[in-house]
Amino acid sequence: MGKGSGHTAPPIEPEALSRFEELTLPHLKSLYGLAVRLTGDGAAAEDLVQETYLKALQAFPTLRNPERSRSWLFQILSRLVADKQRTGNREILTGDLTELDRFSLYHAIADEDPFPYSDHLHEDFLAHFQDEEVRRALLALPEEYRVPLVLVYAEGLSYRELATTLGCPMGTVMSRLHRGRKILERELWECAKRRGLVRTWKP
Amino acid sequence: MRQAARIGQDMEAMKPLTCEQAANQFFAYLDRALSGEPLQALEAHLETCLNCCDKLRFQRQLDDFIKARLPEARLPADLDAKIRRVLRG
Repeated sequence: MGKGSGHTAPPIEPEALSRFEELTLPHLKSLYGLAVRLTGDGAAAEDLVQETYLKALQAFPTLRNPERSRSWLFQILSRLVADKQRTGNREILTGDLTELDRFSLYHAIADEDPFPYSDHLHEDFLAHFQDEEVRRALLALPEEYRVPLVLVYAEGLSYRELATTLGCPMGTVMSRLHRGRKILERELWECAKRRGLVRTWKP
Repeated sequence: MRQAARIGQDMEAMKPLTCEQAANQFFAYLDRALSGEPLQALEAHLETCLNCCDKLRFQRQLDDFIKARLPEARLPADLDAKIRRVLRG
C-alpha cells in the first residue's frame, strides 16, 4: 500500500478489535467499491480504505449504534475524500449556479438536433461518448456533488441515509444531487462541443 | 371556517403542476424519494404531458448510462488480510 501505510493503529483491547472487525469488515467490499468510484484508481482506493479503517478504529468508542456501521464507514471515507479534495485542484468549476440549474441536456440536444435523420436523437447522442469521457466527467465533479451521486448510483442509498452519511439536511442532499447531475449534463454537452458533435457557436 | 381553509389548502396542494414544477421533481422521482401528494401530482402531470414523459425517459436513460460507466470495483483478494494486519499495528 502507499501513503496510507504511514498511519498506525491506535492501541485497543483484543476483544474490542475483534468486535470492530466483526462489525466493519463485512462492509469492506462496499467501501472499496465506493473508494474506487470516488477516486477512479485502484491503488488510491486501497489507501483510502486503509485510512478509513484506521480512522474508524480510532473513533470506534463513539459508535453508538452498530446497526449504522456501514453508513458510519461511508461517512468517514467521504470526509477523507473531502479533506483530500481541498488540497487538489482537478475539479471542474460549477460557474453560475442559476444558469447551471436552468441547463437541460435534453433541451440542448433537441434544440441543436445534431443528427437530423435520427429517430432516436437523444439515445444516439449518448451513444457517441466513450466510457472514459463519462468517467472523467464524474471524477472531475466537486466532491460535494460526486459523493452523494456515487452513493445513489452505486449503493442506492435513500435520501435519508444520505443525509445521515453526509451529516447534512435532506434539502441539502436534494440540492447536491440536482446540481451534481446538472454539472454532469453540462460537462457531456461541453465534451460534445469539443468533439465537434455539436456546434460551438450560437446563431 | 377552519374546514374551508383546509379544503382551500388541499386544493392548492393538488393544483396541477406546470412543466417546470414537474421537471424539478424528476430527480427525486428517479431516486424513489417522492411519495404522497407530490408523487400523485407528478404522476397526474405525466398522464397528460407527453413532453415531460419524454424528458423524464431521457433523464432515466442518462442515469442508467452513467451508472453503467462507473469504474469497475473488483475487491483485491488480499485487501481483507492487509486491513487486518494494519489494524493490529
